[in-house]
Amino acid sequence: MVTTSTAERRAAPQAATVRPEPPRPSGLVYLGLAGLAVLAFIVFWVIQESGDVLLIPLGFVTLWAPLNPVIGLVVMLVALAVCFKARIGTMAAFGALAFIMMSYWAGATVGFTLLEIPERWSNVEPRLMAFLDPNWSYIWTVRDQWLITISMAVVATLVGCAIGLVLAMYASPVSSPNKGTSQTIKAVNSVIRSIPDVGWALLFVAFIGGTAHGLGPMAGILALLMFNIGIVAKLTSETIDAVNPGPVEAADASGATLTQRNRLAILPQVLPGFVSYGLYVFELNIRASAALGIVGVGGIGSAMMLQLNRFQFENVAAILIALIVVVLLVDMFSMYIRRKLL
Amino acid sequence: MITFENIDVVYPNGFKGLSNVNLQINKGEFVAIVGLSGAGKSTLIRTVNGLVPFTSGTLTVGDVVVDPRSKAKLRRLRSRVGMIFQSFNLVTRVSVLNNVLVGRSADTPTWRSLLGWYRAEDKELAFQSLERVGIVDKAYMRAASLSGGQQQRVAIARVLAQDPEVILADEPVASLDPPTAHKVMRDLRRIQQELGITTIVNMHHLDLARSYADRVIGMRAGEVVFDGPVEEATDEVIEQVYQRSLTAEDIVTAEATQE
Ligand SMILES: Nc1ncnc2c1ncn2[C@@H]1O[C@H](COP(=O)(O)OP(=O)(O)OP(=O)(O)O)[C@@H](O)[C@H]1O
Ligand SMILES: [Mg+2]
Repeated sequence: MVTTSTAERRAAPQAATVRPEPPRPSGLVYLGLAGLAVLAFIVFWVIQESGDVLLIPLGFVTLWAPLNPVIGLVVMLVALAVCFKARIGTMAAFGALAFIMMSYWAGATVGFTLLEIPERWSNVEPRLMAFLDPNWSYIWTVRDQWLITISMAVVATLVGCAIGLVLAMYASPVSSPNKGTSQTIKAVNSVIRSIPDVGWALLFVAFIGGTAHGLGPMAGILALLMFNIGIVAKLTSETIDAVNPGPVEAADASGATLTQRNRLAILPQVLPGFVSYGLYVFELNIRASAALGIVGVGGIGSAMMLQLNRFQFENVAAILIALIVVVLLVDMFSMYIRRKLL
Repeated sequence: MITFENIDVVYPNGFKGLSNVNLQINKGEFVAIVGLSGAGKSTLIRTVNGLVPFTSGTLTVGDVVVDPRSKAKLRRLRSRVGMIFQSFNLVTRVSVLNNVLVGRSADTPTWRSLLGWYRAEDKELAFQSLERVGIVDKAYMRAASLSGGQQQRVAIARVLAQDPEVILADEPVASLDPPTAHKVMRDLRRIQQELGITTIVNMHHLDLARSYADRVIGMRAGEVVFDGPVEEATDEVIEQVYQRSLTAEDIVTAEATQE
């Protein structure tokens, strides 16, 4: 009782006063959500194939495996009931419902499982052994490819950030000349972003030629460039949306042009964010250029692809380890810069 | 001289911010606008530089007829009309000097602003403005590192760098403690007298209005309900404007009046 005495003393004077409770969410909307859950259940019931189960395994531990859509329905309804009881807003409840539905659907459709690995062990083992014994001397022989990769990443980052910044200024309603411009640029941006980096690489290799024509790095830079523009423009324009409007209004009130006020009142506010997006994108580029080698854009990726095709797993392992080291170094470097800047 | 003739402001949502305002503010006058929250003080002040476009009537500032639809004309007008805000509105991450130089925008080519490469005479003007508010030694400090009163002085220097004919101030001292509020008001008053700049200030505090202004304008529900010299703005008159009796909140503590 000694431990609770202070709590009791504090609670005592408040016992009489009634504290306001969170507002009760609309029951009608909750009914609608329940209807949505039932609808989803019907859809799942229709599309379910016999014996299909939802598996979300982590390693060999199955976290949650409802055996058929009825369990999913029960989970959804229980979640809704809990949300209603806890007076959680309808938007949040909808979010929870959507999360359950998505994970149910995704799990049921993909049938993702790690359970197959042990069955294929005999196949995996020798390759794994080669990976565990990397050929260290090989790292040095591909230094030219590393240089190409890094210069591709640098050029793509610099140019991509510059273009991304300009696009972001036109995309955010805060800094763009008018609503029409901002919506158009946003749409263009979505298109750029919807094509993955490998997609861009394939496109540019097809248009201007890949490693075979000695143009691999060119295609790689262009692919990374598009990839970077998409990311930087998106993140920066969202940062611009959230700037303090005060200085912007002050610049307007002093008769600055749109360009001047974007430069003087918005750019300084978004600069730290913008620089860290640039560093992040640089890191992504180093990693992406390893993957892009597969489609023939030059750099360390193509060296890795070559060794993989020759079943030289010791060399592949050496490259992968070097990649980890380089990415870690880049990460440390960008962390250092960010600390200096913020 | 600023003239309002039958000015109406209707906000996009249909709310009537100003109705039928007629005013004539003379060159070099120091005018305080008082009124309860929501009376339309900010609306009135923002109409002058077009931050809030008026919807009918005629507004002239100096010899210019204000046209809220022409962006280029508005920019030219704004270059001659400086504005000071309650929350200072500085770019806190950059230096005091760069904040003051924002006031030179209208006279600076865009490419110079983009590069941040200002002419020597613009910098000199910025330094002179900082000198006038007594913080020239802080020129290369980050604006964020200054106190509230100092930040508001930077904002005043930014306006002075515009070499304005009119200064609009929307509750310039409402976020400051009483002694600092008096200091900033004294700065504004001194600048108005030294340079003959027409100054319009929104106020919450009656005693500030009475000690620093030449003329008081009272507003209620978007209308001007009192307009006269400070001497006529007695407690009874202001109670008429507010439609309630005065309280302690209507005045800043008097203790601050001495330096
Ligand atoms: N952008 C807007 N859209 C619609 N209504 C607005 C807008 N801005 C202000 N109003 C309304 O116009 C009225 C007057 O607002 P204004 O900001 O001019 O008042 P104020 O006298 O400055 O008040 P305060 O002392 O609180 O600053 C208020 O009722 C407000 O709700
Ligand atoms: Mg106001």
